[in-house]
Amino acid sequence: MDDANAATGNGNSHQTSLGDSSVLDVYPLSCYYFGSMDSVPFKNETVADRVLRMKANYDAYGMRNCVAAVIVYVSALQPELVVMDKVELFKHPHLLLLQVQNSIYKLPGGRLRPGESDIQCLKRKLSSKLSAGEDGRGPEWEIGECLGVWWRPGFETLLYPYLPPNTKRPKECIKLFLVKLPTSRRFIVPKNFRLLAVPLCQLHDNDETYGPIISGVPQLLSKFSFNFVEP
Amino acid sequence: MVTSQVVNTYPLSSYTFGTKEPKMEKDTSVADRLARMKVNYMKEGMRTSVDGILLKNVFTKFCIRRGINLQVQEHNHPHILLLQIGNTFCKLPGGRLKPGENEIEGLKRKLSSKLAANSPSLQPEWQIGECVATWWRPNFETTMYPYCPPHITKPKECKKLFLVHLSDHEYFAVPKNLKLLAVPLFELYDNVQVRQGSVVGIVAT
Repeated sequence: MDDANAATGNGNSHQTSLGDSSVLDVYPLSCYYFGSMDSVPFKNETVADRVLRMKANYDAYGMRNCVAAVIVYVSALQPELVVMDKVELFKHPHLLLLQVQNSIYKLPGGRLRPGESDIQCLKRKLSSKLSAGEDGRGPEWEIGECLGVWWRPGFETLLYPYLPPNTKRPKECIKLFLVKLPTSRRFIVPKNFRLLAVPLCQLHDNDETYGPIISGVPQLLSKFSFNFVEP
Repeated sequence: MVTSQVVNTYPLSSYTFGTKEPKMEKDTSVADRLARMKVNYMKEGMRTSVDGILLKNVFTKFCIRRGINLQVQEHNHPHILLLQIGNTFCKLPGGRLKPGENEIEGLKRKLSSKLAANSPSLQPEWQIGECVATWWRPNFETTMYPYCPPHITKPKECKKLFLVHLSDHEYFAVPKNLKLLAVPLFELYDNVQVRQGSVVGIVAT
């Protein structure tokens, strides 16, 4: 299994000075339970309507602050080759995504309420989208570090992973946080959403399918080395 | 979480730049480089390299015409230091670790070799921060990925990018055949013409 270790570890046999915060424990998909709950309405609006809605919200509340959760676990990929009658299953980290309708993918998360902190909002959104309810009866979510921030300088402009110079009044700010999964978990998802585990290799550079934020997640995660924990 | 989210950057004017003797690239073409990598791989196994991300704030002032008025706009935007070889090829300061060398020590060695003056009294104290990205090269080709691709059991190179904290005043001496550029983040983002643009683009996040 030495070869497999070379692929999944960071290849450096020396202790780095980074400490434990750069090692992520990930557990196999089989440790998690998936159920469903009632549909959550999804705002199906045109681009023009969306811009109007954002402008109205901006006038009322100021810059839109959003948070999104990056949840990683491991799933064995389908083997494409059988080598010498032995099927090798390669462990590769996967990202948890919600698929709404056929072509829209989102990270679990959403907009902050006035006065709410990033962490509070993320916990609230995770509970409402991924577990039994918003009332906090679900298990605690462990929110880790902020991995990255995306900015939208204007209502109709794109998102950028930095604040473009001369942007005096950014319209939206999206913060991505690492969410650590415990050894096992019940995920309860609204019926109109599909919960997917997408391998990082499928997300990388795939702006057209997933958009810049999701396709940029593998780069944000590259600083971590994954510790694949067998159940 | 021990990592600090705030990186101190200092204006370009507080740094002093000198030159030193040229430091030639070992390879004259991409093909040569990949051939040399193969030879090294046979001898030493997977290549581990480290690069440093040195950030500084650059204060720019420019004028634009708005109707009949001339407006002066100023902005402060973080820039990354890149070494430019020839006219188009840019890279982060860094390089390959010697067998058995510690990552941090190796990065300091490379930074001094590329950016510091030769005299021992002017050596900067490099402050190496966290590792912000790891890139993998699965084959003897130029493509790298921010994860080890599945089905790859023997990656050819692992490159780690570290944030380097600059103090408020440094003396840099750059080999005569290289140019030290301070490139703003917005120019790196999505710019595939800059070599390792994808490797550097992540820092913008």
